[in-house]
Amino acid sequence: MTDITVYDVIPESNPVPVPARPRLLLIGTMLASAAATTGLMGLLGIYLETRADIIASGERWLPSGVNIPLTQPNMIAVSLCFSVFAMVWAVASIKADDRPNTYIALSLVLLFGFAYIAQTAYLMTIMEMPIRGDVLERPPLIYAVIGAHMIIMISAMLYVVAMGIRALGGQYSAKDVEGIYGAATFWTVAVVLYLAVWYAIYITK
Amino acid sequence: MPPTDTAVTDSASTEAHVEPAMSSSDDMSAATPLAVGDVITTGDHKAIGRMWIGASSLFLLAGLAVGAIAGFEHADLSGFAIAKDADQFTQLWSLGRDLVMFGGIVPLFVALAITVVPLQVGASALAFSRGAAAAFWTWLVSTGILILSYVMNGGPSGGQTDFVVLWALALAAMLLSIVWALICIATTVLGARTAGMKLERVPITTWGFFVFAITGILALPIIIGELGLAYLDVKYGYLPTDDTRGILVGVMNSVSFAPAIYWLGIPTLAIAVDAISTHTGRPVRFHRSVMVALGILAAYAFAGDFFSFSWRGRPVALDNGALVLLWLVSSIPVLATLAFAGESLKKGTFKVRTPLIAGLFGGLVLLLGTAIGILLAVAPIIGFLNTNFDAGINPDSAWILGRTSFHEASRGLLVGAGLLGAIAGLNHWGHKIWGRVFDDRIGLLAALAAAGGGVVMGAGAIVSGFAEQPMLPAIAESATTGMETGNLIAAIGTALLAGGAALLVLQVLAASAGAGSSVEPWRGVTLEWATASPPPIGNFAVAPVVASATPLLEEGFAIVDPDAEEASNEEATDAEEVSA
Repeated sequence: MTDITVYDVIPESNPVPVPARPRLLLIGTMLASAAATTGLMGLLGIYLETRADIIASGERWLPSGVNIPLTQPNMIAVSLCFSVFAMVWAVASIKADDRPNTYIALSLVLLFGFAYIAQTAYLMTIMEMPIRGDVLERPPLIYAVIGAHMIIMISAMLYVVAMGIRALGGQYSAKDVEGIYGAATFWTVAVVLYLAVWYAIYITK
Repeated sequence: MPPTDTAVTDSASTEAHVEPAMSSSDDMSAATPLAVGDVITTGDHKAIGRMWIGASSLFLLAGLAVGAIAGFEHADLSGFAIAKDADQFTQLWSLGRDLVMFGGIVPLFVALAITVVPLQVGASALAFSRGAAAAFWTWLVSTGILILSYVMNGGPSGGQTDFVVLWALALAAMLLSIVWALICIATTVLGARTAGMKLERVPITTWGFFVFAITGILALPIIIGELGLAYLDVKYGYLPTDDTRGILVGVMNSVSFAPAIYWLGIPTLAIAVDAISTHTGRPVRFHRSVMVALGILAAYAFAGDFFSFSWRGRPVALDNGALVLLWLVSSIPVLATLAFAGESLKKGTFKVRTPLIAGLFGGLVLLLGTAIGILLAVAPIIGFLNTNFDAGINPDSAWILGRTSFHEASRGLLVGAGLLGAIAGLNHWGHKIWGRVFDDRIGLLAALAAAGGGVVMGAGAIVSGFAEQPMLPAIAESATTGMETGNLIAAIGTALLAGGAALLVLQVLAASAGAGSSVEPWRGVTLEWATASPPPIGNFAVAPVVASATPLLEEGFAIVDPDAEEASNEEATDAEEVSA
């Protein structure tokens, strides 16, 4: 029996099988995304409140000598926005059962993720704001917010890797795209959170 | 009165056509002991829940014992008898609070939810059950490290920088693992319900655990973020001495102060309602109303997180009207829930059993705990009147918000309510979890101790609050008689709470090692009572289909194992052939 015969035997109109545990991964991802959002927003809230208090008291927010350039944060923002398009590409590809394109898209997403880490690390270096200093509150707060977001991004990258491996193993296909959807959801939330950090810390300084 | 077979037959709920689809075999109904390897790698939610119950009940006992020691130390303000100095007292007090909250009460509710929720919604397993197991082990190890960090002079006011940092990391890991477990629970409720089990039909306990989980998922990451900040502050020298590190106790304030701490009361109320339904034989009629009331209480608790008594020097504003409003109205949903359940108490048959008594006590203690909000609101209201209407009330005569032990009273009552909820839940589902009947006499004693402890501790803290006892762990500069008396009463209350927790541990140990029983002590009207005790892997022979919130009261409801039915039919056919 050839492959062609098999395809003939199984009609294309067969109903799509229901996943064994429908939507659980997606629901869990949304809840985890909500947790990540409140965690980061809580820190950002403390950051903004502290900054407002210090500025209201007539002091400078950033210590003298500290400079936060905009080039790197902007490039990161653009890169991450592109990564969302790559994620959409991955989802569309897996829905079309186009595995090669799925892997290329997921790899591209990871590449953007690594670019984020590299650029953030470089930004930390050129900001010239040593965390161990005598300026109460500011450096730990900035590093806490940026570090918390980096943890979220790394978690999202690990999620993408795990779902990519599962797709490679054949678990995800056009008939079950939940894992890739889940990874895309968490990734998108992580990118949106970066945009909040980008505006609150880098743009408004 | 220990439960007997009579208790089953006289239960009104058993008048329904209940046919447990999978009864345990007569010779083995208790939980089967597992090998060490099986225990570590298990994905069975009942086994994970049992492990979590065992560990968290022990940590709860330890936390309350430490809290009682700190309380007695605080009863004599002339010097230190147990702790070396004020910093060590802070560490002692903080260790007790951390263990009670996130080593004891919250994990106990997580454990109960992991065990009971999948059964109540008709799921064959907990969502991400191996994730829940990983969360358990992470929490267990983190709690051990947390205790170690305190022992090595870490924690708030700690002198050893490395161990203060370790405290922050361990507590963050504990909270993270709890959040992960809560995600498993909430996902099970949202995505793994059986056919016909709409969200509005889930049992009240499941609903309570669901809103508890959602609130925790949204609120606890904020504390984790603050712990990360505390880590950086200590690690990089912004809090260089043990004196400056005293402010770290404030990290936990946003979740241990009213109204955020009302979060602990949600499962207690829910368990109380289910216990009332089962043990009066009359299911609570106002199902949706109770769901709404619990949701409102959860919303209040979550809103409380936005009024953080931040440890970074930003006390809550005295004129913050929203917070004052929350303090004033928080007892309304509790009162409403109890009133809705009151109809069953009035028209049903009241049976003196631990789950019912502990559940009722839990609801009432919770009501007192939320009513403390009225005391908390006095100072800002007086401040508002003075500022806006020149009311002429001497502000010194008012109790300054956040500076007296009124918050300690609220926390004590909520811990008492939480412990009562755990006692009610474990006694209610003990047979379902272990296959062994809990001793009702010990349960009733535990409930009395917990209720008495919560009330006495709360009363003591109120007395000392009126004597202007500063908010703990601060120590008053000049002690008054009322202050010391109040502190002593509060310490006695904490010791009583520890006694209640000790009795609960005794019950859990007895349930883990005692003889199994295949006789259900009682039977409810929700799905978990339609399967064996303890349920097998997969929980149900076939996925049940329900048409109401009380499926076991539905006419003709039964879960029939197709294999067993086929075998039974074959036997019947054989018998007919033989007789023919």
